[in-house]
Amino acid sequence: MSEEARNLRCSRCDRELVSKNIVFEYLGHTVAHEVPTCPKCGKVFISKELAEGRMAEVERQLEDK
Amino acid sequence: MKLEDATSLTERCFRGEPASCSYACPFHMDIRSFLDKAAKGRWGAAYKIFRNATVFPGIVAVLCEQPCRERCQRSVVGDEAIALRDIEAACLRYAKDRRPESYVIPPKEKRVAVVGAGLAGLSLALDLAQKKFLVTVFDKEEGWGGCLRPHPRFAEFDAEIALQFSAVKAEFRFGTEVKSLDELDGFDAVYVATGAGGESFGLCEGWDPDLFTTTVPRVFLGGALCGATLMEGIAQGAEVSKIIEVFLQTGRAAHTPSEFDKSGRGHYLTHDGAVSVPRVEPSSPEGYTDEEAKAEAARCLQCDCDYCFAGCEMLRRFRKDPRKIGVEVYTDMNVNPPFSTRALTREAYSCNICGYCESVCPESVDIGRAMQLSRTARMSAGVDPAALHDYWLREMDFSTSEGAFASAPKGRDACEYAFYPGCQLGASNPEHVLRAYGFLKEKYDAGIILGCCGAPAYWAGDEERLQSNIEEIRRQWHDMGEPTLIFACATCESLFCRSLPEIPRVSLYQLLAEAEDIVPTKIFSEAAIFDPCAARGDPEMEAGVRALAGKAGVSLEELPERNRCCGYGGHIQLANPELYEEITAHRAEASDRPYIVYCANCREVFASRDKECVHVLDMAFGLPLSGRAPSLQEKRDNSLRVKKELMKEIKDVDFKPESHPWDDLTLIIDADLQKDLDEQLISAADLKEAIWVAESEGDRFVDESGGTTIASMVKRVITYWVEYRKTGPKTYEIVDAYYHRMRFGREE
Repeated sequence: MSEEARNLRCSRCDRELVSKNIVFEYLGHTVAHEVPTCPKCGKVFISKELAEGRMAEVERQLEDK
Repeated sequence: MKLEDATSLTERCFRGEPASCSYACPFHMDIRSFLDKAAKGRWGAAYKIFRNATVFPGIVAVLCEQPCRERCQRSVVGDEAIALRDIEAACLRYAKDRRPESYVIPPKEKRVAVVGAGLAGLSLALDLAQKKFLVTVFDKEEGWGGCLRPHPRFAEFDAEIALQFSAVKAEFRFGTEVKSLDELDGFDAVYVATGAGGESFGLCEGWDPDLFTTTVPRVFLGGALCGATLMEGIAQGAEVSKIIEVFLQTGRAAHTPSEFDKSGRGHYLTHDGAVSVPRVEPSSPEGYTDEEAKAEAARCLQCDCDYCFAGCEMLRRFRKDPRKIGVEVYTDMNVNPPFSTRALTREAYSCNICGYCESVCPESVDIGRAMQLSRTARMSAGVDPAALHDYWLREMDFSTSEGAFASAPKGRDACEYAFYPGCQLGASNPEHVLRAYGFLKEKYDAGIILGCCGAPAYWAGDEERLQSNIEEIRRQWHDMGEPTLIFACATCESLFCRSLPEIPRVSLYQLLAEAEDIVPTKIFSEAAIFDPCAARGDPEMEAGVRALAGKAGVSLEELPERNRCCGYGGHIQLANPELYEEITAHRAEASDRPYIVYCANCREVFASRDKECVHVLDMAFGLPLSGRAPSLQEKRDNSLRVKKELMKEIKDVDFKPESHPWDDLTLIIDADLQKDLDEQLISAADLKEAIWVAESEGDRFVDESGGTTIASMVKRVITYWVEYRKTGPKTYEIVDAYYHRMRFGREE
């Protein structure tokens, strides 16, 4: 199921996720990307689409840097 | 790391060096490239190479004695050498545009006198005139050509010289004999090339054959006057012009750096598989037609070594010459971002480190050692891509702690033999270890060491972990009375051979083959033996397996290439999944016959590709053929079962594996997803842990539209995600699972 079509809630805070710009770190490099996040506790959700798509691509680029 | 530490590993590689014919050529022409262009009918490009090397191609194509033919490797195949001069003549006919190039270079003020308008002097005069020096050529005759003037084809040669000089300015003073060098006082440099027996102005004494200098600093001597042949004289002209250029700029005669090492002779290759092709005879006395010349040029074997490239998927994929890899192993550790970035990561972690390249290299260059050095250097500098090897290092930690067990046989402190099955054999099939131990205990009163040889640490470049594991093995071996170790895994045995050479070794398969009461079952009537890469150089192990298969009455086929890595070596699966896929596919296709394997990793690779295969231990012990490869979780469970049974048998101790609160969760995973998870090295134990933590702490997401729950867990350098549905008490259906290597942090 695509990321947009999902209706995700943070179970602990019982809040719907909102899109926030989050900093990612890998091998000493940082990049920022908007991902669904719990507005209360800040827990971040990474979809399979993102993990195996853009993130995997950037991971590979950073490994080769 | 010093530069030489890395480059010394690959410097013997001669890929890309000139071919043997070029070393014999007076002009050191790149004949290989010339013939490549000619074979394709690219006459313009071929002519350029020919002209730039020989200065007067129209003369060389007629008069060169072709010493290259003596060094043509067509002879290796039993054929006549390439008819180079005939192809050169065809090139002159078929090149559309032979007009010399003119260069936009600022004119120079220095004046150069050339005494003698033979080919040696003309060659030098032309080269310096192209560089816009003020050149004056003197000759006592009424024209150029020197010793060629009486030649029956001189009209042709005359036209060729005129053509080559047509784009430059040079002054010719014919009918002018230089009697004394004092007449040339106004020149900054003088080249005397007056031909055999010509005027030397008394300068032969003190002539330097390397720099062509004389006792008079501005005067140089060369050509037939100094014993050169006609062709050598032309080649010298081009060489001396460069020396004179340096002299005019700096006041000192010196060579410019040249890439061509004249002392070389070129390497002869074996040309396996090259087909004999007879020389193409011209159909007309005029010489080759376009097609004939192309066909003759196509006979060139293009002698350059590609033995490692031809067989190695990794080298082919990255197309980097071995010597460049050697340099990059060093530069990779000295990057200065953003000005330079690492150049070797993907290659270094995509190498199976299987030794294939070394086995086919005429100079025994092992590119894997360079890749291994890169991995080790990066690990010790803390700049390794840890996620690529983390899974296997965790497995090694397990095999050397919870999964480990070492003991002399029941009731004994020491033994003469001990079985070292390696971490994967029991994980893949516990019966292999248990049955083999049963045999070895009876026949050899053998003890057992369950553990890991350290290959995962070796492949990750983790020298520290590797060394401490070796020390632990050495201690266990010593405590057991220094027994001979019996190996079932070629990787373990080769690692012991390298790191623990003091330990005597023997192959399990050899012992099984010698045992009369072992009657192997004939699972396939026809098969091919797939020898693992690590068994290369281990003839006893290879022979033992063949003897067992022979005993079973299997009709055996030898693969065209033995000891190719199945793909597992070097743990490249995460670093380069596409390459891993390509390699495993190639190995599975090496024969239509089913394989007999004797490495648990080979078996798993082939089982996961649905290639029919059997472990030789299945045959030796008459075990049922196990089809699919075990999952990651099953492998751990299998290892623990082996340990549990052996501890019970030898020590009468009930081994209780470490327990976790999530152990009794039941996961429902469909077969396709399971295969996918195994390929990505996501184990069920990690999923259970993630679910258990999420459920007990309420730390999870719920997807209201799909009715699923999503949990995540960070384990060392990997973040795992699992989407699931609760289907019963402590029972979860896994909908999906994935991972990433990046860490997410705060909100920006």
